[in-house]
Order: sequence, then structure tokens, then C-alpha cells
Amino acid sequence: MSSLLSHEIGYSAPIEVHNHGFSPYVNNEGTSLGICGEDFVLVASDTRQSNGGYSINARRSPKAFELSNRTVIATTGCAADAKQLVEDMEQRAQYYVHKHGREMSTPAMAQVLSQLLYTRRFFPYYVFPIFAGLDAKGKGAVYNYDAIGNIECVSHYAYGSAAALLQPFLDNQINKAHQRGADTTAKPSRAQAVKLAIDAFTSATERDIYTGDWLEIFIVDSEGVHKLTRELKHD
Amino acid sequence: MSIMEYCGAAIVAMVGKDCVAIASDKRLGQQQLTVDMEFQKVFPITERTYIGLSGLATDVKTLHDRLRMRVNLYKHREERVIEPKTFTHLLSHMLYERRFGSYFISPVVAGLDKNNRPYICALDTIGCIDSSSDFVVCGTAATNLYGACESLWEPDLGPEELFETISQTLLSSIDRDAMSGWGAVVHIITPSGVITRDLKSRMD
Repeated sequence: MSSLLSHEIGYSAPIEVHNHGFSPYVNNEGTSLGICGEDFVLVASDTRQSNGGYSINARRSPKAFELSNRTVIATTGCAADAKQLVEDMEQRAQYYVHKHGREMSTPAMAQVLSQLLYTRRFFPYYVFPIFAGLDAKGKGAVYNYDAIGNIECVSHYAYGSAAALLQPFLDNQINKAHQRGADTTAKPSRAQAVKLAIDAFTSATERDIYTGDWLEIFIVDSEGVHKLTRELKHD
Repeated sequence: MSIMEYCGAAIVAMVGKDCVAIASDKRLGQQQLTVDMEFQKVFPITERTYIGLSGLATDVKTLHDRLRMRVNLYKHREERVIEPKTFTHLLSHMLYERRFGSYFISPVVAGLDKNNRPYICALDTIGCIDSSSDFVVCGTAATNLYGACESLWEPDLGPEELFETISQTLLSSIDRDAMSGWGAVVHIITPSGVITRDLKSRMD
């Protein structure tokens, strides 16, 4: 009996430790910016998708999207969440057309985006959107949001891995706060805005490993949404 | 928060045509609390070599004092003024001496050598030299400064153009960094002398 007992005590099943952690968020990095003009608005994003390490998931995975009511939403953060959010936005835009027989205005759509983000207040979309379009008077409007829908209407803004690189440059060239005698209220022309966006991203690509490959620029004006593509460094 | 971000700083140096510029903000803080608005972070080492020290303020003072002593000893022994490149290696050795208990400082050196050739470099806390032919940055606003420098700097700027470029770069960068700002100072080092100008900026 005693030998049987000792045998039973001596036996122990191998202990396997499993981690059942689930990480719902990934930062896919990349950069987006928006610039507001007098009668147009510009939105630009690079198309590199990473996961915060040294690998590149995709070189051409756009994160700025045109919606059917001639607005554009540029995202950074989690690409999967961004895709879902943009689909929600497009659905709301289409539903509005069927219900009211006209397109939703840009400020209304901006408010919808804020509400969509806040509905997920306690399990947010990990997305930092820049939303842009023309307002009721045909003037450019750029809105930026945090992940839970706090909204701000701005003249220009940058979000993402190279935001800290881009924002001081845009402030300098658009606000002109430190240039004596400069018109600090003047908005950039369309050609200036395109040049600023390309210059800003070319510079950001030099120092930020998560920004690069291709640059997609959307310009919204009274004629509609125009899209330009420029090549950035692939390294 | 890292001890390197305790006091806050924004320092940048740029190369021009036969001239160099070095500029810094003036804030001294204890994390978010501002303590001093006239804190010196850029120091003359010789008549044409300047150093910017970003990091922990106590080490800024200590390192500056020790550097002053070593440069004076060099002058007495060698009977000549130290070159920026030689000075950088002196500094590098002083920092590496403390390899396992380093000064919490990342310095920037800017100067003209005896042939009036511009020299700028940055070092890390243990003295690794990163020399550059365009610009170097350090401090809590380093990322902001990189972005602004990368877009605004161009080769062969004269002293006045270089002053404008470095000033615009610094002011735009400190406006987007809560840990630095509260005024700024710019030194332009030319073969005929140093131009020093204080800049007003946002005080928030």
C-alpha cells in the first residue's frame, strides 16, 4: 500500500503553461495629413503598412479613402479598425441619400464620424482620422479626431508615425507665425498645398522608417475628388 | 518619464557656406513645471567653437565646468586654441570615461576649424560621435527639429540666410513641444566673428 502511494505521489503530469492573452489592437503606423484651402481641401497619406517592428506588411495599402458624398477620410492606427470605420461611414452616407434624396453635407458627415467613434467609447476603434471636404459655402474644411471622437476643425493637421516631423513644418509654411509681416490668415493655393504635401512626405520618409513607398494625394474641389499618386523612397 | 526628458531642451546646429549656426531654447523645467526662462544651454568653448548641452541641468553645469578646465589645460600645454574636431574627441573621451554611470547629456558641437571649414556634430550620452554635413539636433524637441530641418535646410546658405533658417526651424519646433521654448538664442559663427541674437517666442 505504501509503495502504491509513493508511486502515485511520484507521478506528476507535465505542466504546460499556455498564455491565453488576446491583443485586439495593432498599430499599422504610417502617416496622414490634411491641408485646408480657400475653395479646396487636400488630404495625403503614405501607403506603407507595418506592424511596429522592422517588417513591412504591404507597400501599397491605402489608408485614405474617398466617400460617395465627395469627402475624404484619412486614417492612421489600426488598419483593420480603419477599414471597418470607413465602411460604416460609407454606409451612413448611402443611407442618408436613400432617406433624404440628397448627399450628406461635409459638416454633418464630420459629426457622424465623431458619433461613430464615440459609440465605441469603451472598446474604441484604434484609429486617428482626418476628415476633409467642402462645407456648405464651398470652402475647404479639415477635421481631426482622437480615437473616441473628440473633434476639431483645423487649417492643417498631421497624424501618425511621422506627425511630429510634419506638424512643425506645416505650421511654419501655412501659419507663418514667426514671419514678420506675413499674412497669417492666408490659405495656401492648390499648387502650394500639393507642393507642401509632397515636400513634407519626402522629408518624413528620410527620418521615419514607417513612412514611405507611395504617397496618395486627394484634392476635393467644386468639380469633385481628384487623386494623385507620387512615389516615395522604398527603403 | 526618462531623466533625459526631465528638464526639456531644443538644440539645433546647421552648416552654411563658410559659417555654422547653433541655436537653443531657454527653458529650464522640472517635468511640466517651468523653473527658469533664461537658462543657458549653449556655451562658447573657444572664439569659434560652441557647444550645446541638452539633458539634465545639473550635468549641463558640471560638464560645462569640466570642459572649461580641460580646454584651458589644453591651451596652456599646447599654446594654441583647440580645434572643434579635437574638442569633440576630448568631449567624447570625457563622456566615455563615465561609460557605466554616464552624464545625462547629449551634446551638440558647432564650430569653424582653422581653415574656416564648418564642423558640426552630435554625441550620445556615452560619447559616440555623429558628425554631419548638414544639421544635427538634440533635446526633447529632436523629432520636431528633424522634420523642420529636413524640409527647410538647404546647402550653401550665407550667414543671414542661415540665421533665418535656423530661427524658423527652432521656433516652429518648440511651439509643438511642451518641454522646450520660452525664448531662444541663436549664434552664427563666421570667420569674422560670432553674431548672437535672442529670439522672442511663445511663452506657454
